[in-house]
Order: sequence, then structure tokens, then C-alpha cells
Amino acid sequence: MVLHEIFGVFVYPGMALLFGLAFLYEWIDRKFFARVQNRIGPLYTGPSGILQPVADFLKLLSKEDIVPESCEKPIFSVIPIVYATLPLIALFVIPITGSALISFEGDIIFLMFISALITLSVFLAGWSSAGSFSRIGSIRSALQMLSYEIPFGLALIGPAISAHSLSLTKIAQWQAANSSWFLWLQPIGFAVVLISLLAELELVPFDIPEAETEIVAGWLTEYGGRRLALFRLGKDLELVMASTLVASLYLGGAQPLFFIPPVLILIIKSVVVLLLISFVRALFARFRIDQMTSGMWTYLLPLMIVQILLVQLGIGG
Amino acid sequence: MSYGTTIKVPFGPQHPALKEPEYFLFEVDGDIVVKVTPRIGYVHRGVEKAFEQETYLHNLYLAERICGICSHAHSTCYTQTVEGLVPLEIPPRAVYIRLIMAELERLHSHSLWVGIAAHEAGFDTLFMYLWRDREMIMDLMEEISGNRVTHAINTIGGVRRDITGEQATKIKKFMDKFEGNVKEYMKVLETEQTFLKRTKDVGILKPRDAIALCAVGPTLRASGIKSDVRADDPYLAYGEIPFNVITHDGCDIYARTIVRCEEMIESANIIKYALDHMPEGKIKVPPPRTIAPNESVGRVEAPRGELIHYARSNGTNKPERYKVRAPTLGNLASVCQTLIGAHVADIPLILAGIDPCFSCMDRVIITKKGE
Repeated sequence: MVLHEIFGVFVYPGMALLFGLAFLYEWIDRKFFARVQNRIGPLYTGPSGILQPVADFLKLLSKEDIVPESCEKPIFSVIPIVYATLPLIALFVIPITGSALISFEGDIIFLMFISALITLSVFLAGWSSAGSFSRIGSIRSALQMLSYEIPFGLALIGPAISAHSLSLTKIAQWQAANSSWFLWLQPIGFAVVLISLLAELELVPFDIPEAETEIVAGWLTEYGGRRLALFRLGKDLELVMASTLVASLYLGGAQPLFFIPPVLILIIKSVVVLLLISFVRALFARFRIDQMTSGMWTYLLPLMIVQILLVQLGIGG
Repeated sequence: MSYGTTIKVPFGPQHPALKEPEYFLFEVDGDIVVKVTPRIGYVHRGVEKAFEQETYLHNLYLAERICGICSHAHSTCYTQTVEGLVPLEIPPRAVYIRLIMAELERLHSHSLWVGIAAHEAGFDTLFMYLWRDREMIMDLMEEISGNRVTHAINTIGGVRRDITGEQATKIKKFMDKFEGNVKEYMKVLETEQTFLKRTKDVGILKPRDAIALCAVGPTLRASGIKSDVRADDPYLAYGEIPFNVITHDGCDIYARTIVRCEEMIESANIIKYALDHMPEGKIKVPPPRTIAPNESVGRVEAPRGELIHYARSNGTNKPERYKVRAPTLGNLASVCQTLIGAHVADIPLILAGIDPCFSCMDRVIITKKGE
């Protein structure tokens, strides 16, 4: 029994699978993004460059470790590990194989807590490195969180109200049992969750905290070597977290279909979400932080309140 | 909102938004810029002194290397100035070949700039598409001149290479395709909301300020002022070719983008017309080795605006004095004015809006005692 649990945490459906997915998703994202932009994308490492994310990770690990003189050294060293761990923990509650590793009533709230912690760690990462670009980046990321967090939370609550459960696994099962996806029942919620996740993942049009042409790399500027590698891994895991979360909340999750294993179904669904995210990020320019905050509060939040009202009135759930 | 006190934010000499080293000190109140102090001279290369020490023929190569993007504009202006010193009439076919190269260069420079503007606004997809097209223009230029960047097609008294009929058809065919592409990109730029939000009413340069601060080129034309050396003081064969001077009344970054896009379409038409009406004949005449004492000024509409070269000869084979005034110097004062009142996040976009080329511009270096 203990062996089984250890296997679950470390291999399947735990860390080994998730790291594999993280690198795979980064490759899919990069390749698709490049094709949309009429470029080729990763090409040389492995077939069609599929191993490029792994190679980048290993290369970064082997680079010189530079710590700025004036940074807060303890935070500066701990944050990369925290940042890589948080999405991993969040992924444990997402029912990737049909049932999650850890599942309890209220794990949606736990997920929201983790997503807030991720932004907090971003803020600390930028603040502790004491560079002017990092500071601006971290302030921008905190401002950004203030604007997308509430619509995001409400978008998670919508399906929970309909399924009468605060557990992700049960919400996914509810969709399978009623054979209807929340994508069709609550389309506004789906749009809002996608937009908020773009902001959470700091992708165009919300890549404001790391706007390359304005503030170099934002909160990431001072990091290099293995710390940067951990941040990159954390980002990939976040991408997996976002796409599997949307897939299991709004796209029906890991439904069994004929002889295909549920885990494959979920991966296919989340890849569709991933492609949607990369497509959106190829289509837009970057907003300014004030435009982003006011846009989120004036459009996204009222829209989401309307969606919740509709759910309460019995429409869409 | 005002915080009463201002913070000084340094910008450069190394910054991802600046492709060349230059320094600006911003005084910022909250998120709004209240004062800008530029400091130029980081890429002073002593070009003008170098001109005085080499022969006229050697200087051709030096002139070509003043700028990495509008190299042909500089060498055209140089040859024009030196030919004015002699004075020397160049064959009409050479005039047309110079003109076609100049317009091709304008196309590549403008597509580079519109790409950069999109990149500064975070719109990388358009950047990639424009730079893909730019690459094909560079290939065309390589086919004509043998070089991608420093074309070295000009020589004193004409041009070094002729354009064959085969090349002409190829260029015309590509111009049709390129025009279609630019129109499509313009449609994207005019309708894409995120891009409009970042560029409309950002970096306003009023027509009065533009004239008072000596803005030149697309920056001036985007403020609604019809000024183009090609039309005002036609050089090469611009007097014989019908074309419009593009202006826009927006006065903002968006207007500067649209002006450059429309100029690209106009340039493509100029190239097509010039290829159809190119006279036959020689492409160069032999220049004299020494030039009698004289003075001459050359004006060229470089992609970034008016470019002025001045030369004084003294009877030897070397110029006595040579002066280069690059368009960025003219635009620098206006951009500092434009930046006042801007958001910090808009600084890169506004700075890039004049299409700065600092290393062409730097002619001085300011040193303080003890530094």
C-alpha cells in the first residue's frame, strides 16, 4: 500500500508524469506559436525538436550561479524552489487520471489559494532580487493579481455551484454523469477562466510583469543558471496546471471513452486548451498595466457575476 | 494623480528597447514622465575627421558605413555632394538605378521599423511576418548589388552594376506581392484593438511643435505636415516620377505607423514606375581625381527623414571639411518633447517611434573633468 502511494506521488500520476507533460507542453506551445508566426520553432534536439525544452533545462542547470550583491539572499535562494513546487502541488488535486492523487471536499479553494501563492512568490522573487526592473515587474505582477483573482475565483465557483461540490474530482464526475460539459452550460465562465489564466501565466496580452521591451525580463531579470531553470520548470508546470484545470472543470475532465484510457482523453483535451492559449498569445499586443486592471474590473468581473446569477436562476447548470 | 516629488529613472545606455547605446534620464511623477534629459555621444566614431584624411574614393566606403540600415541613403548623399563639387553629370540610367535602390532600402527600413513598433507593443506575430518580407527585399538587393547591407552600388560618377531585364521582372513581380502583404498588415494594424490601445493618442507631437523642434521625415509627416525632400527639392529622378507625399493628422504613434505603411506602398509603386521608364545607356562616367576649391551640399530623403551632407574641397584629392547631419538628430528634440506626459510603459514605443539611429547621429562626445 505504501509502495503504491510512493509510486503514485513520484511516478504515475505524480511527478514523473507531470514533469514529462511540462516539457511536452512547452514544446507544443513553442512549436505551435512558431508555426502561427510563420517560423519553424525548435528543430534539432530530438525528432522535430521535441527534446529542446529538456535540453534548455539541462543547459541552464549547468550555467554559472550568480547572486546579486544587494539581494535578500535567503528569499532569493528559496523562491525558485517554492515557485517550482507550488504548481506541482496544485496538479496533485487535479484529476488527471480520472481521480486525483489528493482529493477532498474543498480542493477548489485549495487551488485558488495555491494560485494566489504563486503570484505572491513571483512578487517576492522580484522584490528580493533588488533590481529596478525586477521591482517594477513584481509590483506589476501584484497589481495584475489584484485584478484577475476575483473573476478567476468566480469562474471556478460557477461549475461548483452547479455540481453541488467543491471538489474538482466530483465536478469532473458530475459532467461525465450528466454527459454535458460546462463549456456549453457556462460559456461566459469558460471565456473568463481562459482570460484570467492568461493573466496568471503572464502570457500576451497580459505579459506585463515581464514585458521584454520595457523592463528586460521583469521580476526574472536577476535570475540565472539553475534558479532560472527552476522558474522555467515552474512556468511549464503552471501551463500544465492551467490547461488540465480548464479541461477538467469545463471540458468534462478524464471521461472514459471506448477503450481509450481516461488519462489520454484528459491530455488531448488539455492540449486543445493549450493550443487555444498559444493561439491567443500570438494574436494580440500587450496591454498597459492600467488598461489591464481597469479592463478586468469593468468587463470581466460584471460578466462573471452575470454568469453566476444565470447559474443561480437555473440556466446553465 | 501627483505625488509631489519626482523619481529619476535612468534609461540606457544599455536597454532592451534601445538597439544602440544612448542615455536618457527621466524624471517621473508616479507613472508619468515630467522631464527628459538626453545625453548623446556614446557612439561617437569621429567620422567627419576620418573623411578629411582619406581620398574621395575611399570616403565612399566610409559614407556607406555611417549607418547600417540606410547605408544607400548615405552613399547617395555622399556621391551627390561630391558630384556637386566637381560638378559632374551622371548618366540617366545610373540615376534610375540609384533611385530604385533607394526605394528598396526605404521598403526594408520601413518594414523593419513597423516590425519593431509591433514588437515594442508586444505584438510579436506581426514583427515576425514583417521581418520575413524584409528578408526577401534584402535578397532582392543582394541580387542587384551583391550585398545585403552595405550595397556598395554607388560610385562617384554613376553606379557599379546594372539592373538586367530579368532582375527587373523579378523585382516588379515581388513588388505586387509585397504591396498586397503590406495592405493586409495595415488592415491588422487598423483593426487590432490591443495595438490601437497602445498606440492611439500616445506620444502626441503637435504640428506646431514638430516644426519648432525641427522634426523630419515620417515623424513630421505623421503630424500632418507635407514635407519630403523627394518632392520639395527633387534629386535623382524624383522630379520625373509621380508619387504622393503621405501625411496623417493623428500626430501619435499610430499615425507614424500608418504613414510608414502607406509610404511602403508608395515606394513599391515608385519602383515599378522607375523600372518601366528606365532609360538605356551607360551607367557611369569617370570622375576626376582632384577637385578644385568649391563647396557643396547634398540633401536626400533617407527612410528616417532629411539627410544633409556638406563638403568643401581644396584642390587636392581629399575634402577639406565634411559634415554629416543625420535625420535622428533632427528628431531627437521632438521626441524629448513627446515623451513628457507619457506613461513609463510607453517610453520604449515613443522612443522607437522616431526610428532612432543613434550611431549615425553622434558627432560629439562630452567629457567632464575627472570622469
